Amino acid sequence: MNVSAAGAPPRARGLIEQFDELLGRSVSMRGLALLRVLSGPVVLLHLRPYLSDSLDGHTYRDAFHHPYAAWYPELPEAAYIALLWLAAAAAVAMSVGLLTRLATATTFAIVAYNVFLSTTHFHNNRAYLLIVLGVLAVAPCGRELSLDARLRRRRNKPPLDLSAPAWPLWLLRFECAAIYAASGISKLVDPDWFGGTVTWQRVVRARDELQALPDWAVSVLTDRSFHTGAAKFIVLTELFIAVALWSRRTRYAAVWVAVVFHVSIEASASVQVFSFLAIAVLVIWAVPSTRDRILHIDPAKAGHRRLAALVRALDWLARFRVEPAEPGSRAEVVDRNRSAIRGGPAFAFALSRLPLTAWFALPALLLPSVRRARTRR
Amino acid sequence: MVGRRVVVVAVVVVQLALIARGYWSDHKEFAFQMFPESSTWRADVVRVTADGRRVPVELPWSGYRWDELVPNRGLPYPSVRHHADAGLDNQLAFLEEALDWVAHNTPRDRETRYLEARVTSWHNDDPPKVELIRSDVRGGAR
Repeated sequence: MNVSAAGAPPRARGLIEQFDELLGRSVSMRGLALLRVLSGPVVLLHLRPYLSDSLDGHTYRDAFHHPYAAWYPELPEAAYIALLWLAAAAAVAMSVGLLTRLATATTFAIVAYNVFLSTTHFHNNRAYLLIVLGVLAVAPCGRELSLDARLRRRRNKPPLDLSAPAWPLWLLRFECAAIYAASGISKLVDPDWFGGTVTWQRVVRARDELQALPDWAVSVLTDRSFHTGAAKFIVLTELFIAVALWSRRTRYAAVWVAVVFHVSIEASASVQVFSFLAIAVLVIWAVPSTRDRILHIDPAKAGHRRLAALVRALDWLARFRVEPAEPGSRAEVVDRNRSAIRGGPAFAFALSRLPLTAWFALPALLLPSVRRARTRR
Repeated sequence: MVGRRVVVVAVVVVQLALIARGYWSDHKEFAFQMFPESSTWRADVVRVTADGRRVPVELPWSGYRWDELVPNRGLPYPSVRHHADAGLDNQLAFLEEALDWVAHNTPRDRETRYLEARVTSWHNDDPPKVELIRSDVRGGAR
């Protein structure tokens, strides 16, 4: 029994033990490892304006800034610039997985120090980046997809356990959903937003930027009544993503919608690294277990070999084991619930579980022929 | 195990508190209120000198230029009507902090007593509102 729960009433004790089991459950860190790889370039993008200014000898001190607290330590200019470049190097090391724990903690510490130097440094996308880096710094996510793991193999050392307590993953899932929920609720409770005034005024004022669109599209986009509905659609989209990510039944739909949502934002607004980061974070919603689906292929068939090569190259979340099947058999995917999909639908299903192709392949799973193709083994 | 539980609960509680704080705070750190308003604003920012002159900051002074001193947070050209990206409260808080920063960080300027911004703001489609914001008073102006 959990010592700390021992003095609690039986019902509370049960809940605390369940909570502890949830946090301590051993799960695959593959999703966080992939996010770590993707976060390195995001950090570099985030640092780019600071680094660019530093090359010209400029730092935040040369212009308006506003410290959060008088006691917050400020470094001499040369040391501050050196720290920024150290963060860039650490971000690269974090991404390739070299001295991963140290590199990730260093990246997080310097990015956090820099953001908290001034209220002027703070933006929502940077807050999200800090959260992601903070979670990556405490999670053991450098044991795979890393140079550390490769060097360990080369030295003939036994591989480290790829599973770890789940709490950093659950925490990042909470943060991810909270961000969509916070954004959606703030618009839901604001009559100007939910009623369409905010989006309508933004579009009308940006009318000059709509010149590339046909006249009818401009007419629709600048129509007040269009925004009465569009604003509600935007708010409900954010809330849908926040809620639907939690259920396995709706998660793929939520991820698909989230990708469209972020691409739309990136195309229509300047949000720094937010879109890249938010799409990258979606990988943490993959079920945290690996190699629990089997792709059976006939090695004699060129199409099967191509599918196997594609899966091996793009299976960044380690969803599949690729195994040879009987000669002449159709391609088959055995899902983790032991149901099987054969033939063309197996191709679509396999592609729908790879991060790079999922968005394109997921709609194919809605086709009746694909839905009917799943059989119990 | 207790430490893990404490960390997770603390992060969740702090995050929810910061989201709630976003509804009354000027700077909405970790509140994630994206694209909150269509509000716009403009301001006539002047330096008020010791002899009472009101000099627009668009005119360089003592080797300083406003757009170089305040190049960020949508503030370099205050006389042009702008969208308040993160909401009016946030934008005007930054303007007020910028006036103070300029007042305290222009040592070659020996004539300005304080800076003043006459701000016209439009909250979404509400009628315009005018307000006056002043920096701290500088010492030693002649």
